[in-house]
Amino acid sequence: MYTRGPVIVMELPEQLNHAEGKAFLAELRPLLEIDRPRVVLDCSQVQHMDSAGIEILLHCMEEAMKRDGDLKLAALSPASAAIMELMRVDRLFEVFESADEAARSFHAVASIEEPQSPPWYSVPYGLPDLKSAS
Amino acid sequence: MGLGAILVVGEEHQAFCSTPRAGNYLLGEPIECVEILGRSMLERTIERFARTEIEAITVLASNGYSVPVLSGMYRNVNVWVVGDVASAISQLLQEYSQKGIEHSFVVAANVYAEIDLLDLFYFHREARKTATRGLDREGPLDLWVVDCAKAQQVDLESFFNRADEATASYLIRDYVSRLRHPRDLRRLVSDALCGRCAMRPSGREIKPGIWAEENAEIHRGARIVAPAYIGSGSRVREDTLITRCTSIEKNCYVDCGTVIENSSILANTHIGIWLDVCHAVASGEKFVSLGHDVVVEISDPSIMRSNSDAKKGVEFSRPYAARQIVATIQQEQPPSPEMVLGANLIQG
Repeated sequence: MYTRGPVIVMELPEQLNHAEGKAFLAELRPLLEIDRPRVVLDCSQVQHMDSAGIEILLHCMEEAMKRDGDLKLAALSPASAAIMELMRVDRLFEVFESADEAARSFHAVASIEEPQSPPWYSVPYGLPDLKSAS
Repeated sequence: MGLGAILVVGEEHQAFCSTPRAGNYLLGEPIECVEILGRSMLERTIERFARTEIEAITVLASNGYSVPVLSGMYRNVNVWVVGDVASAISQLLQEYSQKGIEHSFVVAANVYAEIDLLDLFYFHREARKTATRGLDREGPLDLWVVDCAKAQQVDLESFFNRADEATASYLIRDYVSRLRHPRDLRRLVSDALCGRCAMRPSGREIKPGIWAEENAEIHRGARIVAPAYIGSGSRVREDTLITRCTSIEKNCYVDCGTVIENSSILANTHIGIWLDVCHAVASGEKFVSLGHDVVVEISDPSIMRSNSDAKKGVEFSRPYAARQIVATIQQEQPPSPEMVLGANLIQG
C-alpha cells in the first residue's frame, strides 16, 4: 500500500477469492472508515478472480461511497475484465490503465470541485455590489 | 468413377495443415468436433461427402483428440487413430488405389467450403495433375483432390506444403470458413442464422428466425430475439434474454435473468443466474471472451460449469484406450451394416 496525496493505492492479491479477499478486506477496512476515502485498487497482480472476489470489490465500493468517497480500479487484466463483464459489475467501477492514472483522476475531480462559482448577485451577473449594512 | 475421401481431425497434423490453427484447441477439443447449430462440422462434412456418393470415407484423428459420436448413419465411414497423419494419408491412398478408387479428396475437417465437390473433381481430372488444391480469396485451403496412384510416387508430407507443377489450383468463390478460432465459429453461426451461407440449424423454426429442437425447454417468461438457436435438451429459464445470433447447443442450462448476446454456448454448459454473456463462446468452465480476446477458466460452479462429467465423444488418448472405448460403444450400440466406426484402428 502507498499513498499519493489523499489517495490510497492498494495492490490486490494474486488470488481474489473468498480466503484471500477476506484477509485483504481486513487490511483495507480501517482505510475505508475515514471521511471521504479515495481508494485505488491496483489489479495488476490479480491472476484469478471469482464471485467472492467480486463481492469484496462491491463491498469496498459500497463502504467508500457511504462516506462520500470513491473506489477506482487500475491495471485490470483482460481476464478480470471479462469476468467483471460476465457478472455485470464492469459498469459500476471506473477502470484506469495504471494506478497513477487512477490517482490523478481523483486530483482532477478535486481541482474541479475547489473553485466556487460566483454568487448570483455578484458583478459577473450584472448586479451592483450590495451595500454593506451600516 | 471411383472417389474416396479422407477427413483429417485435430491440429497436430502440421504436415498436412499448412494454415496455423493456434486457436483451434481453445475450447478443449478441435472446433470441427464441436457441435455448431446442432451438429459438428465433421458430421456435416461427412454428410456432404456421403451425398456426393463417395465410395469410401475415412476420418483420420490424431492421437489425443476426440471424435464425436455421429448421430447419423453413414455408409462406408471408418475412423482411424494415427500418430503420423502424413504417412496415414499415404497408406490410405495406397489402399484406395488397390481398391480401384482412382481419386480421393483429402480435407481438413475444420474447412467449411460450400463448393460443388463433383465440379472440383472434374476440374482436377481435366487438369491431369497429381493433385488439385482449393483456394479462396484469402489463400490456399486444406482441401485437396489427389490422384491415388500418382500420389504414391511423391513424398506427401512435403507435397502438401508446397505448390509446384504437379498441383493445380481451384478457386472457390462460394462461402468458405476456416474454423481456426472460436471467432470463426461465431462468424459461421451468425452467417448460418442470418442466411448468409447454406448451412442451416438442425431442429424446427418455431418462429421466424428462431430454431429450437423438439425437446428444448424455453420458459414463457424468457425472451428470445431472432435469429437464435436452442439445442436439444437445453433449458432456458425465466427472464433470460437470448439475442443477436446466439446459439445454445444441446443439454445447456441458462438460469434466470441472464442475458446472452452474440454468443455461442456449447453443448453441456450450465450458465448461472443473472449474468451477462456478451460476444463470447462458453464451453463448460471455459469462457472465451472474443471482446477481450482472452480465455478464462471459471472455477466458480455457480457462474459456469459443465453439465456432464463425461464427454460424449470417443477420446483417443492412446490407441489401446481408443480401441477399448470403441469396443464399449460397439457393445452398447451394435454397429449396423451401414456404419462401421473405428473398424480400422492403426497404431500411432
